[in-house]
Amino acid sequence: MGANYSKIRRCVRRARKLVIKSTTLAGSGHPGGSLSMAEIVGTIIFSHMRHDPSRPLWEDRDRLVLSKGHAAPGLYSNLAVAGYFEESEISTLRKFGSRLQGHPDWKCPGVEFCGGSLGIGLSFSIGVALGARMDSHDTHTYTVIGDGESDEGQVWEAAMTAAKYGVDNLTVVMDRNFIQQDSYTEHVMPLDGGSVGTDVSKSRSDKSLWRTGDKWRAFGWNVLEIDGHKIEQLSDAIRRSKAAHGVPTIIIARTIKGNGVEHMADNPAWHGKAPDPSIAPLVSDELESQAMIAPSIIAGDMTDLAGEIRRCEEGGADYVHLDVMDGRFVPATTFGAAKIAELRPLTLLPFDAHLMINDPLDHLAEYVDAGADIITVHAEVCDESSFGEIHDSLHSSGVGAGLAINPATELPEWAMRFAGTLDQVIVMSVEPGKSGQKYIESSHEKTRSVCERLTKGGFGGDVEVDGGVTPGNVGACFEDGARIFVGGGAIMGQPDTRRAVDAFAASITRARRTRLLVRAGRLGGGELASKWISLHKNEQTRDELTKLAEGAGVL
Amino acid sequence: MSGEQAMGDMRTAYGSALVELGRKSDSVVVLGADTTDSLKTAAFGKEFPDRFINVGIAEANLVSVGAGLAAYGKTAFVSTYAIFLPGRAVDQIRNAVAYPTRGQKRGLDVKIIVSHGGLTVGADGGSHQQLEDIAIIRAIPHMRVLIPADSVAVTGLTRAIAAEYGPFYMRMARSKVPIVHAKSQEFEVGGAITMREGSDCTIAACGITVSMALEAARLLAADGISARVLDVFSVKPLDTATIESAARETGCIVTCEEHSVLGGMGSAVAEAVGESHPVPVHRVGVNDAFGESCRDAEIPSLLEKHGITPVNIADTVRKARKSAR
Repeated sequence: MGANYSKIRRCVRRARKLVIKSTTLAGSGHPGGSLSMAEIVGTIIFSHMRHDPSRPLWEDRDRLVLSKGHAAPGLYSNLAVAGYFEESEISTLRKFGSRLQGHPDWKCPGVEFCGGSLGIGLSFSIGVALGARMDSHDTHTYTVIGDGESDEGQVWEAAMTAAKYGVDNLTVVMDRNFIQQDSYTEHVMPLDGGSVGTDVSKSRSDKSLWRTGDKWRAFGWNVLEIDGHKIEQLSDAIRRSKAAHGVPTIIIARTIKGNGVEHMADNPAWHGKAPDPSIAPLVSDELESQAMIAPSIIAGDMTDLAGEIRRCEEGGADYVHLDVMDGRFVPATTFGAAKIAELRPLTLLPFDAHLMINDPLDHLAEYVDAGADIITVHAEVCDESSFGEIHDSLHSSGVGAGLAINPATELPEWAMRFAGTLDQVIVMSVEPGKSGQKYIESSHEKTRSVCERLTKGGFGGDVEVDGGVTPGNVGACFEDGARIFVGGGAIMGQPDTRRAVDAFAASITRARRTRLLVRAGRLGGGELASKWISLHKNEQTRDELTKLAEGAGVL
Repeated sequence: MSGEQAMGDMRTAYGSALVELGRKSDSVVVLGADTTDSLKTAAFGKEFPDRFINVGIAEANLVSVGAGLAAYGKTAFVSTYAIFLPGRAVDQIRNAVAYPTRGQKRGLDVKIIVSHGGLTVGADGGSHQQLEDIAIIRAIPHMRVLIPADSVAVTGLTRAIAAEYGPFYMRMARSKVPIVHAKSQEFEVGGAITMREGSDCTIAACGITVSMALEAARLLAADGISARVLDVFSVKPLDTATIESAARETGCIVTCEEHSVLGGMGSAVAEAVGESHPVPVHRVGVNDAFGESCRDAEIPSLLEKHGITPVNIADTVRKARKSAR
C-alpha cells in the first residue's frame, strides 16, 4: 500500500514555517536543529503515531519523546499543525506566561518529556517502554535524539540498558545533522571516530567514514541508516523498526541542519540563533519554494522499467512518475496496475501515478493496491461527483489525490471545491499520449493562472508540470508557480540521469534565488538583498547571488 | 550509645517493605544500579522479576529510566548508595524527576531511596561518605527529604511515601542502628516526633543522631537540664509548628546530623526558627569538611573527630543555653 507523502510534506512545510515564525518572534531559539528534524518528527506524528490531539493524555496514545530538547520549536510547530493547540499560539514561544517554554515542557499539550538537559530522553523512553511492556500495553514510544547529544555518556548507558532488556516497543531516531553548538560534530567530538587532525571535510559526504551505526550495532541495536529528509525512507525505516522483535532499533537519519533554507543549511552559525525579522519573510518564502523532480520512466527503455527505476534512484529523483495510458483516453498504451505492482518492491521512491485512462473510478482500487502513493486522474473524464468519490476514496486509503488537465482544458470550476484537500494538480504542457513533444509555450500563462486560482481557493498541495520540461525552461515553470517537474526525454532520455537531474535542480535553484532576490528588493530594496546575500557562508554562492541580483535589477 | 539497646538494619527493613508494597500493587517497580544485594532490593526482584530493573553502574540512567516508568504511570523506587545519588545524578533528579508537572502532580512519582549516608560508611573513606545530600536535594523544588532514625522509621516511611504521590529522597545509614521508635510509631510526611519532653533546650536530630540526642538528654538530665528531643525525620517538608513551639517553649535549639552543617537539617531548622521565633540555634554536624576511612570499630572515633557524639551534643546545649540568656 502507498502512503500520502504529499500530505506529510505539506504538514512538514507548514511546521518549518512556524519554526521560523516562532524563533523570529522570540528573538532566540534553535532553528537549525528544528529544521533538520522536521521530516523526522513530521513523519512520526502525521503518519505513524497513534494519537489524538484532542486527548493529549489518552491512555492508548503512542509517545513521542524529544530528547534533543533545544529543538523545541521543531516539536511545537508539528504539534500545532497536528492540532494540539492553535497555530497562533506559536508566537508566544519563549515568552513570559507561555505554555511553549524554551525547552519542551508538560505545560504544552502533546509534550511527553520535559527535555533540555541532554542525554536523558533515551533513558526516560526506555522507562516508558518498559512500563508499557509490564502492562502488556501495545503503546509505542518514538524518541528523537541528537548527534551532538550523543557526547553525553548517559546515552550509552541507556543504549546498553535497552539492549539488555530487548526493548522493542521503542523506535529511536538520531537526527544526524553533523553539527553541534561549537562546530561540526566531527570537530567537537567525533561521533564517527576520527581524532584531532583527521580531515573531516568529507565527513558528511563520504559514506566510508561513517561509523556511528557501527557504534550502535556494537551495543546490540538494530541499526537502520537513511536520508532523514526523505519521508518514504523514514516511513519504511519506522515500519521495519516496529517489525523487529526482541531488539531495540535506532534509525540514523542523516540530515542537514537548517534544511530548507539555503543560508542556514549545514551552517553551524544557525544552531542557536533566531532569524532577523527583516529576513524572516524571505525565509518563509524560501520554505514555500521547495521543488521536486519526477522523472517519467516511460521516456526511458520500456523493455527494462526495472532498470529505469534504478536510474531514477541513482539520479536522485524525488518521485517516480508513472504514465499509465489505456489506449482509449489516449491512443497509446503503456502499462497498468500489474506493472506498477511488479515495480513497487524495487524502490522506496514515491510512485506518482498519472492515470491517462477512461473511467478512472472503476480502476482506482487496482492502482491503490498496486502501491501508488499519489494517484492523479484527468478532469476530462471526471465530473464533480465522480472526482469527489475518487478524492475521498484515495484519502481514506491513505493515498494522495491529484487532478490533471490537458492543454486544451481549463481547470474546472468544480475542482475548486477540492482545493483545500487536493494533493496535486498536473498541468499538461504537451498533448498526452505522445512522446518527444515540445513544451507548449502558452502553458506558462496557464500554469500561472491555475496556481493563482488554486492559491485563492486555499490549495496547499503542489502544481506539477508535465511535458517537454527541460533544464532550459524548468526555471520559468518554477517561476510560474509549479513545484513538481516531470522529466521525460530531458532526464530519462539522457545517458547520465544524475547529470540530467542536477541540471534541472541547478535551473530551479537559479530561479528560486532570483525570485527571493526580487522579493527582497521589493521588501527592502538593494539593502535587504545585500543583507540576505551576506548571510550565505559560501563565497561562491554569494558571488552567484550578487550576479543574479544585478541581472534582475535588484542591485 | 547504649550497648543494651536493640539494633535494627535499615536496608533489611526497606527491602521487606518493598516486597510488601509489591504484593499490594502492580504499579510498584524497583530499580537498582549494581547494588541491589547491598540495598536489599534483590528480594523484590526475586519475587517480581518483571518489575525489577538493574541498570548496572549507571546512576544517571537509573534515575531517568525510573522517571520514564513513573511518567508511564508506575511508582518507581530507585536505589543505590547516597554518594552516587544525588552525586552522579543531580541533573536527572532535578530535570527528569522533580521538574515535570501536570496540574497538582508536581514532579514524578519517583522515590529515591539511598543507603550509606554520612560518615558511618567507614572504611570506604571520604570519597564515599555523603555529607551534602540533604543540602543538595532540599534545594530542588518538589523534592521532599526524609532521614529515618531507625529500621522502624524506614518501614513506616517507605509505606508513607508509597501512599503519597510525588518525588522523595530518603537516606538510610549503612550500619545497624539502635531502634529508638516503638513498633507502633506512625510516621507522617512533614511531621516530627517528640522523643522526650523537656523545657530548658531542644535537641533536633535526624537519622543516627536521634539515639545520640537521647543519650545527650540523659547526660544533661544528670546536670538538672531538661532537654526536649525531636526526631526531625522530615527535613522537607519541615514540621515548622513543632519547631516553633520548641523554640518558644525551650528557648534554644541544638541540631545534630550526620551531614555537613551547611544546608542540612540544622540549616532548615535555623531558617524556620529565624522566621518564626528567633532563638539561638547551634548546629552539630560535619563542619565544612570531608570524612576519611576508618574500620567499623573506629567509627565512633571518626564521629567524635567531627563532634557527632552525645557528649558534644550535651556540651553544645550548654553553650546554646548560655547564648540564650
